[in-house]
Amino acid sequence: MSAAAVLRALVEQTRANFVWYFFRDTEMVFWSLAIPVFFLLVFSFALGGSSTRQTSTFLVPGLIGAQVLSSGFWGVGAMLATFREKNLLRRVYLTPLPSWVFFASLVIYRMTLLALQALLLALVGSFVFGVRVVGNPAEIAAILVLGAATFVSLGTVIGAVVRSTESANNIASILTVPLAFLSDAYIPIDRFPQQVGTILRALPSTQFIDAFRGVAMHGDSLAHYGTWILFLAAWTLAGTTVSARYFRWV
Amino acid sequence: MHDAALSVRNLVKRYGDVAAVDGITFEVPRGSVFGLLGRNGAGKTTTLEACIGLVTPTSGEIRVLGLDPVRRRDFAALKRVVGVQLQATSLPEKARVGEILTLYAAYYDVRPQPAALAERVGLGDKLARPVGKLSGGEQQRLALAIALLHDPALLFLDEPTAGMDAFGRRILWAEVERLKAAGKTLVLTTHYIEEAERLCDEICIVQHGRIVARDTPAALVAAHGGNAAIAFVAAGFRVSAELERLGRWTNDGGRWSVSVRSEPGHALGAIVTHANALGVSIEELDLHRPGLEDAFIAITGEALDEDAAEAAA
Repeated sequence: MSAAAVLRALVEQTRANFVWYFFRDTEMVFWSLAIPVFFLLVFSFALGGSSTRQTSTFLVPGLIGAQVLSSGFWGVGAMLATFREKNLLRRVYLTPLPSWVFFASLVIYRMTLLALQALLLALVGSFVFGVRVVGNPAEIAAILVLGAATFVSLGTVIGAVVRSTESANNIASILTVPLAFLSDAYIPIDRFPQQVGTILRALPSTQFIDAFRGVAMHGDSLAHYGTWILFLAAWTLAGTTVSARYFRWV
Repeated sequence: MHDAALSVRNLVKRYGDVAAVDGITFEVPRGSVFGLLGRNGAGKTTTLEACIGLVTPTSGEIRVLGLDPVRRRDFAALKRVVGVQLQATSLPEKARVGEILTLYAAYYDVRPQPAALAERVGLGDKLARPVGKLSGGEQQRLALAIALLHDPALLFLDEPTAGMDAFGRRILWAEVERLKAAGKTLVLTTHYIEEAERLCDEICIVQHGRIVARDTPAALVAAHGGNAAIAFVAAGFRVSAELERLGRWTNDGGRWSVSVRSEPGHALGAIVTHANALGVSIEELDLHRPGLEDAFIAITGEALDEDAAEAAA
């Protein structure tokens, strides 16, 4: 395919994703936006006590981080398994469309939804609890993109190796929910015993959420999290390599 | 070999201990309509999916317009020249007919003509309908439209009319005839006798992963269909010595019948002439010519699937 043809296919497929899975699936969109906001409100009021602002300053980046995890595991990984089981991938596979175009348009769609979720959480946090985002916008965007890349690539491993929609959804939920609780997203990691905390800090989800929170809410520089950024890049590379090796269209 | 649009040699596909395809060999000349006829599970779909690169053969050799679907580079070229209507396919439920045709035009890098294509498969008034609201037969016709979209030289249709109503079937048959007239090669699988008989220049009967017969429908019927039968009631009729030679006669309570090996038209003429000479009139005349179904049963020792038997009746 010529570059112009590839671009056309990418635009058409991305547009189709938005029309089919966003504008015509308003219920799904509503819940995926409403649930994180609901968590933010409930947790901040319930656990915040006298300092709801401090609590929600912790929770906003945590909830955004949890959405990054679920976008990768569920939104991309389990979605690919669903597409395969519904015999949708095999039809696309028989066309000249380069596989990365189909994949990229799914990621573009998911990342847009993620950006909306993040924006909404930041806005609600700011208006309701006075949360302040103090970090450098470019650095915030950079760490978010790296985190998204990490969890999309790990999510794609699910899509590559798991055959059925049902198991893919189960694995995605099993990974997303407990990981969010164990990765400093909802519960500060120093509430765990010290040895447990050491283990939890080795998780890519913890490293990402901590770096993201530090950069966005505390104004830390990205360089401060250099080691973790390297780890996240390594996870991304590993996930991409494994899925490229094992992904099956049929 | 050079003229063949498709050649399959000693194709074997095993799933564990089970051989879904157990040594199939055939060739399809360019410009012809070729049918794989057999019951569900006979190995037709596996054979077809091996030809288009969806199934990797355990062994054997396939050439599609000279290309080997197993080789990466050939497979990429093959996708551009081959059109496919899969049996097991699905499209996003919320996508509309026109959107699907526009999107797939982008996949194939051709000019989108959703209205013309939809018209061609009888979906002209359903461009704005979501895929999830189409009937099974309509979805099959949409799948056919996708197969036609890039004007391929060779088309693979897997059970193209499964689940279609009479209207859908007529549209599909007309399209196959149009494609054939345009010089395209078609390979289709079916378990509908009528479809095979009507559309195919040549038929392979597939049973338990093997080809058990291969010929034109007419030749299969002539070789395996058995005798034609003529039956009638005629008071005062007697079988003459000349008529005796036509075949085996029986008389069941006044109803005469004869099983004839030769062309039944000739026999019928002789019977009518003889009846006229006797001055008796022929009533309740029945003529049964053997069909592909008779040949299929004679060859495989089993009937086609129940729904096909019903459709034939």
